[in-house]
Amino acid sequence: MASSAPPPKLYTDDVSLIVIILDTNPFFWGTLSNTTASNFSFSKFLNHMIPFVNSLLLLNQLNHVVLIAAGVTSCGYIYDSATAVASDGGQKVPAVCSEILSRLEEFVAKDQKLGNGDLRTVGGVMSSLFSGALSLALCYIQRVFRSGMQHPQPRILCLQGSPDGPEQYVAVMNAIFSAQRSMVPIDSCVVGMQHSAFLQQASYITGGVYLKPQQLDGLFEYFTAVFATDLQSRSFLQLPRPVGVDFRASCFCHKKTIDMGYVCSVCLSIFCKPHKKCSTCGSEISHSQTEQLDRKRKLSEV
Amino acid sequence: METITMVAKYKTSVKEPGIPGVLKMMEDRFVFAPNDPRLSMNLNVDFRQIKGHKFSKDGSKQALLNLTQDPEKGGGYIFEFNNFPDRNACRDFVGKVLGRFQSAEKPPASRQAEQLSTKELERRMKLLTEDSELQNLHKQLVASGILMDSEFWAARKSLLDNDNYGAPKQRAGFKSAMLADVKPLADGRTNKVTFSLTAETIHQIFAEKPAVHRAFLTYVPTKMSEKDFWTKYCRAEYLHKTKNSVAAAAEAAEDEELAIFLKHDDILADEIRRKIQRVDPTLDMEADLGDDYMHRPDHGILRDGSKETVEGDNEFSRRTLSQDLNRHGSVVLEGRTLDVELGDTRTVAEALARSKQGLSTENSDENVHMEKSERVCRMTEIEDLQAPRSFPVAPLCIKDPREYFDSQQANALKTLGDNGTGMKPMDCNLSAEEAWIYLIGQISQVKVRGFNHPIVQSEAALKVLNGLNQNLSSTKYQFGKNSQESVLDRLPRKIKDDLLNHWSTIQELLRHFWSSYPITAEHLSKKVGRLKDAMTEIYVKLQEIKESVQGDFRHQVSLLVQPMVQEVIRSNLKKSFTKHMSVWRCSRCDLKSVCPTWV
Amino acid sequence: MPQVRIVAKNFMDMVAALPAMKLDQLYDSSFICEAVLRSLPPLAKKYALQLLFIDTPVTAKSIEEWVLSDGISKHKVAIDRLLQLKVFIEVIDRKKEASYKLNSKFQSNMQRYLVHGGSLPREPMPSSVTVRLPTSEDLEAYALEQWECFLLQLISSAQAERPTSFSPSMMRVFQRGLLSARENEAPRLTENGFQFLLMETNAQLWYIIREYISTAEDRGVDPTDLISFLLELSFHTMGEAYNLNTLTDVQRSAIKDLADLGLVKLQQGRKESWFIPTKLATNLSVSLSDSSSRKQGFVVVETNFRMYAYSSSKLHCEILRLFSRVEYQLPNLIVGAITKESLYNAFENGITAEQIVSFLQQNAHPRVAEKTPSVPENVTDQIRLWETDRNRVEMIPSHLYEDFPSKDVFEAACDFARDAGGLLWEDSKKMRLIVRGDIHQHMRDFFRRQK
Repeated sequence: MASSAPPPKLYTDDVSLIVIILDTNPFFWGTLSNTTASNFSFSKFLNHMIPFVNSLLLLNQLNHVVLIAAGVTSCGYIYDSATAVASDGGQKVPAVCSEILSRLEEFVAKDQKLGNGDLRTVGGVMSSLFSGALSLALCYIQRVFRSGMQHPQPRILCLQGSPDGPEQYVAVMNAIFSAQRSMVPIDSCVVGMQHSAFLQQASYITGGVYLKPQQLDGLFEYFTAVFATDLQSRSFLQLPRPVGVDFRASCFCHKKTIDMGYVCSVCLSIFCKPHKKCSTCGSEISHSQTEQLDRKRKLSEV
Repeated sequence: METITMVAKYKTSVKEPGIPGVLKMMEDRFVFAPNDPRLSMNLNVDFRQIKGHKFSKDGSKQALLNLTQDPEKGGGYIFEFNNFPDRNACRDFVGKVLGRFQSAEKPPASRQAEQLSTKELERRMKLLTEDSELQNLHKQLVASGILMDSEFWAARKSLLDNDNYGAPKQRAGFKSAMLADVKPLADGRTNKVTFSLTAETIHQIFAEKPAVHRAFLTYVPTKMSEKDFWTKYCRAEYLHKTKNSVAAAAEAAEDEELAIFLKHDDILADEIRRKIQRVDPTLDMEADLGDDYMHRPDHGILRDGSKETVEGDNEFSRRTLSQDLNRHGSVVLEGRTLDVELGDTRTVAEALARSKQGLSTENSDENVHMEKSERVCRMTEIEDLQAPRSFPVAPLCIKDPREYFDSQQANALKTLGDNGTGMKPMDCNLSAEEAWIYLIGQISQVKVRGFNHPIVQSEAALKVLNGLNQNLSSTKYQFGKNSQESVLDRLPRKIKDDLLNHWSTIQELLRHFWSSYPITAEHLSKKVGRLKDAMTEIYVKLQEIKESVQGDFRHQVSLLVQPMVQEVIRSNLKKSFTKHMSVWRCSRCDLKSVCPTWV
Repeated sequence: MPQVRIVAKNFMDMVAALPAMKLDQLYDSSFICEAVLRSLPPLAKKYALQLLFIDTPVTAKSIEEWVLSDGISKHKVAIDRLLQLKVFIEVIDRKKEASYKLNSKFQSNMQRYLVHGGSLPREPMPSSVTVRLPTSEDLEAYALEQWECFLLQLISSAQAERPTSFSPSMMRVFQRGLLSARENEAPRLTENGFQFLLMETNAQLWYIIREYISTAEDRGVDPTDLISFLLELSFHTMGEAYNLNTLTDVQRSAIKDLADLGLVKLQQGRKESWFIPTKLATNLSVSLSDSSSRKQGFVVVETNFRMYAYSSSKLHCEILRLFSRVEYQLPNLIVGAITKESLYNAFENGITAEQIVSFLQQNAHPRVAEKTPSVPENVTDQIRLWETDRNRVEMIPSHLYEDFPSKDVFEAACDFARDAGGLLWEDSKKMRLIVRGDIHQHMRDFFRRQK
């Protein structure tokens, strides 16, 4: 995992740059609040999240928090603690809260306007633009790296709940790999009802923490106990881990888990049986090798 | 205990008179005591040593009973009885005893009489040497007598049948020994020099010296016999070896055919020239005929031990050692093109000729030239000044990137079973309008109402903290520092190796154990007994390992060990043989699910 | 720079040494709670935060569960710190197990803070009243000037341009430990004094403030009040004017001293007077942690051991003179060279090579600060080598004893010296003995007794 960028000049202690990615998908939040099983609404979520931002800023004067909202049709920066309040005397808490809320409102309104006329039916719950938000976060972190001055240790915290969008898979994986190269851990906190494969992968590959809280009314406690830990302390703390995550591949044709299979050399899609043509990229697969192998296998089976 | 006591005479051969005495036969042995106490000739022979018994016909001169030890070598104990009924009684008794022994021993003997072909044996040995785990297992089980060799391999038919029996996947190239070995045996007394040419050598000669090959095809058998041909060839070789170029020239002038052998190989020269023409000029702009190091006399080792300098003019000048080596090397690299069995020289020559022809038709010079000129054009361009050349590559077009996701998703979510809250995606029954209104409403609610105080209730927070602590303590020993370690890696290596070893042994034993059911024959029950003993041993060892591991790991290790132990115990409880068929079948299924595959 | 932390930690130690009642008093102000929280080690911060909303005590074991085996020491340090500062209260239950819970005042303050934020006891004055507030550059210049003036006077009162309003006794207090005056001699800087000069501004500030506070009792001022005022001050907005009449008496007397140090600027209007906090004041809470302030450096060191300092301040000149040979001074440039003699001089005075190197690195001019290393390696290596040069030979004053009358006497002397811990070398063949100088007297007595 060699990174070509020069090692960033990090502070030696717990100064952190935390980029928080919020899920502002109204369909998800609306459905969640309608589900009787959960007692959670967007306002309750904000009730936990904004004080958490305050607590992060409290921990260290030089801590830097950035909020990015992942909407349905767009994503954007909501809040940046470095540019938010001009004065040096520390950000006043009420100012922070009101700023976040007003910017959030603006963003949601804009998101709605952009999405109007988009008659995507709501068969399942639509996914939010997670890949876009992740890219925004990584770009911001890169900009901080290249600013030349000493900077805090960055990490990304994803507060997602919407289901994963299959069309975003490639983009999300690319983002995850670039985060891995820049050594930026991606923490995930899933507030929805289902687990998210994207976030599991992200946290596993980049060395972050993946958590799906059991009790959403104690969300603030989850935040402070797990996600507020700075990177330096993580090296000698044990943080909760999901057990038994399975990253084995499954074939594209039947979706069953396989150990050995055939891989298309062009697009790297996996099949359990040899095909003449790859169904993902359409390239022809030459068969001399596979035929020989087949013949051999047939003989041995007999 | 059944015994028979008879009066009989003991003799070692039929003609002897015999020593009178008393023969007493018991279940497992027989005892003969002579009447005469002076004769110290007591016999006490175990029946196990007796392999067969012969007797004389009823009504013949003597009532004889011969207890043979080795059917082939002979040697046995001959007893003469007074009358036939006595002898028959004894004979029956012996027959019964022997029958009992042999029935016990026959099955193993018959099974061991498996005629293993040498190939099979070789194959087995090869497998054992290649796979050290298999060897370990074999040593443990077969060497200590728990399993039979045949049983062991019966389970591994697939391994044995699989790839070709020792057929080498590579074809050996020509030996370079030919260069040195075809030295003539000089007979010190006479002026005879003997060359020995084997079929292999001849093949090699044809491959390395195309001129000789061509000569053979043209002259034999029309102009001269094979023997003559080779005689001439050997003479030429001898002349080369003597480094006498003048003599060579003289002989060549006389004998036309000999001259062929002494000249430089013109076919070779031609080939080289063609090869040089094909050299990519972008690699070496100066590559030209001058690089024909095969035929330039001043190339190569100047000092290969020979004191003479080479004369350039003479056409029959020496081949240098370096030229020979180079030629040999290039032939080896080309590979063996013949699959024909080496036998008849003629066939070999023809086959070689055919294959060469095949090769040459492929590389038509024209094609090569065109390619070459195209490449030259391309490479001599100055890249900076040119527009980027787009090569004829097909662009990657992925029809549906979602497929990648689906294949990943299926697996990842399967295992995160959690508390099962809503594994299926939520159905959204809101319209777009409603959803947006809801969201904006929520935000304004927070704006207006402000935050709750306290943000989190104390009980909820405490519950969360306790929950997290529980999670931590349960996974503490399952993972190492990062999620990519497993508990096995954290154990000391010896214990890890032992555990894995025991695991594979138990699997093997269990396989044989359960396949022996239902127990129909005695040997099966014995086998089962042996297997049970072995498993009990391993059980004890597992317990020891559990004890030896310290504190933290003990729980984890016992978790690992538990399925093994369970199976062993279950097998031990298997007392009755023939009933419980259903139990057997169920156990078979359980086995597969309980014992996870170990990588 | 670790020194900041050490000094600041000392400040926090001082806070921690306050009696529980006083600490509780301190925790009334949410800003002080915030400052204390920020001064904790990172692990302690996490613990405090995660127990913020829990009212019942949490067992020590459950907190320890999170810690891996190589972090146990850090965990202990964190818990100790929390207990010292009375942020955590220990509760021992019947089963003799320890549990912790947050100090209730601290807890309620922090909870409120997270939601509502804290509020200072004073608001900035409306700009209609305050006239001609200084710009931030002016303010910074003012602060710097004040501080340098103070330091100069501290080191050598002769050099100061104008005397500070500190009483001579106060100055003596500050100078205690930094300067040493022998009889009839001008006061010279001690080893600590040199180190003090080479420290960062924030570290120096903390040192002075600590001295100031620890002597507060003698002046009849409650140190707790001072501490709380100072910590509060760091949360004021720089450049805003605050009315003096919002201060208590204690604070009012302190504010004058603080103005001398450059922490605030006092201004007089027509009817009211006010104070303006400078950057030095607002950075007080920052320097509680490790991060160095982003001060502009001014020193460029070349590989030929020449040094150029773009500064016109006398203080800087003095500091540089400590370890280098200042060759000439231009209006905005000080040119010097680092030589062996000048360094030896510095070493004699007790300055270590590390301090010199870190001073050069911290104060590197922005042009060279970007490069790694900001100070050329050959210079830093050479400084360190010259320092170790002095350690090659260790000198101990000692006495040589020879011409012993008999072997027994020699042996007895050896044993005696060894017992006294002063035996350095003996040669039994030639019967010679070298003993530390400080026990020479004892040896003489011993010999006399022998006779």
